Amino acid sequence: MSARRAAGRVVVYGLVLLVAAWLIGPFLWLFVSSISYQRNLLARPLSFVPPEVTADNYRMVLGLVRFHAENQAAKILPSMLNSLVVAGVVTVVNLLLGTTAGYAYARFRFPLRTVSLFALLFTRMLPTVVLIPAYFLMFRALGLQNSLTGLVIAYCSFTLPFTVWIMKAYFETIPRDLDKSALVDGCNRLQAYYRVVLPVSGPGLVAGGAFTFMLCWNEFIVAQVLNTKLGTTTLPPVIAGMNGQVNVDYSVIAASGFLAAVPAVLLVLCFQKYMVQGLTAGSIKG
Amino acid sequence: MNGLSRDRIAIPVAAPRLALRGRRTSESAFAWLLVAPALLAVLLVVFFPLAYSLWMSVADVNLLRQTGPALEAFGVRIPLFRFVGAKNYASVAADPLFWSSLGRTAYFVGAFVLEATVVGLGMALVLQERFVGRPLMRSLLLVPWSLSRVVVGLLWIGILDSDFGALNGLLHNAGLIDAYVSFFKTGFSALNVLVSVYMWNQAPFATLLFLAAMQSIPAELYMAAEVDGAGYWHRLRYVTMPALTGILFLVLVVSTVNGFLMLDLIYVLTAGGPGNDTTTLSWLGYQTAFAFFKFGPGTAILYTLTALCLLLAVVYHLLLNRTPAETGA
Repeated sequence: MSARRAAGRVVVYGLVLLVAAWLIGPFLWLFVSSISYQRNLLARPLSFVPPEVTADNYRMVLGLVRFHAENQAAKILPSMLNSLVVAGVVTVVNLLLGTTAGYAYARFRFPLRTVSLFALLFTRMLPTVVLIPAYFLMFRALGLQNSLTGLVIAYCSFTLPFTVWIMKAYFETIPRDLDKSALVDGCNRLQAYYRVVLPVSGPGLVAGGAFTFMLCWNEFIVAQVLNTKLGTTTLPPVIAGMNGQVNVDYSVIAASGFLAAVPAVLLVLCFQKYMVQGLTAGSIKG
Repeated sequence: MNGLSRDRIAIPVAAPRLALRGRRTSESAFAWLLVAPALLAVLLVVFFPLAYSLWMSVADVNLLRQTGPALEAFGVRIPLFRFVGAKNYASVAADPLFWSSLGRTAYFVGAFVLEATVVGLGMALVLQERFVGRPLMRSLLLVPWSLSRVVVGLLWIGILDSDFGALNGLLHNAGLIDAYVSFFKTGFSALNVLVSVYMWNQAPFATLLFLAAMQSIPAELYMAAEVDGAGYWHRLRYVTMPALTGILFLVLVVSTVNGFLMLDLIYVLTAGGPGNDTTTLSWLGYQTAFAFFKFGPGTAILYTLTALCLLLAVVYHLLLNRTPAETGA
């Protein structure tokens, strides 16, 4: 029995290692590539421990050294700033509008409640790409082509319905008695929401906000199509563009890819507890 | 008789009931006040563009044309173009590439749903076990899922490339291959690589859902099964799996929809090639609309994709709703 149990433990730890290698092995290799020289990546036999470590790729990407493809690399930092602005603004808009709506859906019965909730759910099954031709012509008419405002508007299409559902699921976990006692204590309904319920909703706000930020930070196709003018686009299209250039080494691309990955990964690692709660609650009830 | 007595009772409580109705109206008004901004925003940024795209799919869209019918409001002029009926759909259906892309989409979605579900469930079963470092592993689980698909693509280029790919290096060092393999050389291999890379990115979300469902299984069930002498496979078959059916359907729906919509990885990894061997409907629609700027046929393809996607979601929904009734009967 105990020998069998020991064998069971070995199998479990073996499988855990396998899953861990599958999950983060490729990502670790991206990092290793980003601190290696291209010639060492091309060497055969390939050494999995880098024989030389260098920060040159990062220096090139951040524009600290001159090299033959510096025009491509020079776009990285400004586009990163664009990504940050767009993702930040969309997150704030989502938290303002989505949280308020999510609260109403969690607490009140009102006409068209089910229909509108279903309509929000429906939008989550739409391919965003089907909306892009419409954005293209609408933004041209509004003069929002190649603008960050345009991207903010377009990104709300796939984040806002999600935020409403996540926040609805979160507010359903907060006891209704809290609102009721606030009303008894003399708050009106609005005050009960923002003075009493909202201050204890930190985890839900964090989950919704982190998820929205991550989706916007990572988005590629919309930015690629709508913001084609130099300096107006976000990070993913710039990195994808570098990938198509023959004169840019993979190690340099890996460095920019790693820079793009770090904020999203850190966000998820820091807030994973809240995100998991929010996402699974939203999905299971959805 | 019954109704009469109820009426009689109703008279004395009429006043409070009215007050209640008043409170309810003000409650719905308040609720609408809270949801209106979000719903209005969704109406403007999702439903209006959706309708406009639908219109384009039945119109003769000429992007350079500045005259003709248009929606005009507040000095903004959104062109409406000329209605041509099903002409765009007909021209799309006449293209053999559309049908072969449809076939590849079906293969892609099928293979992706299968891989994501099986690997997602497998990882959940491993992470459900008791071991040192379980919280850390659950954090790592979200790493592939949190990456931009552009980064996911780049990262797998670093592993699969025929000049510097780490997998090639590993196989070569181990003496299993004589020369580096080009995984994107033949169409079928490239399509399968796309499926697996997308699975690497998406399966963790399925694992997350499975783990959440597993946590809601009462521990007593496992203890009872153990007392009855059930081994691991019996517990899996008779305790774990039955509790996962609901979430399994959700995973199937989510991965089917995601499979249909996948586009960014194709852009980064294969650009639809070699030839058209990894051209799915979403890539064909994207290319038609934004590489050739044929918005009419492009939106027609993308609308066909959307319709297929929604159709399957409805089918799953019907299946999902039928299952409890069947087990109940």
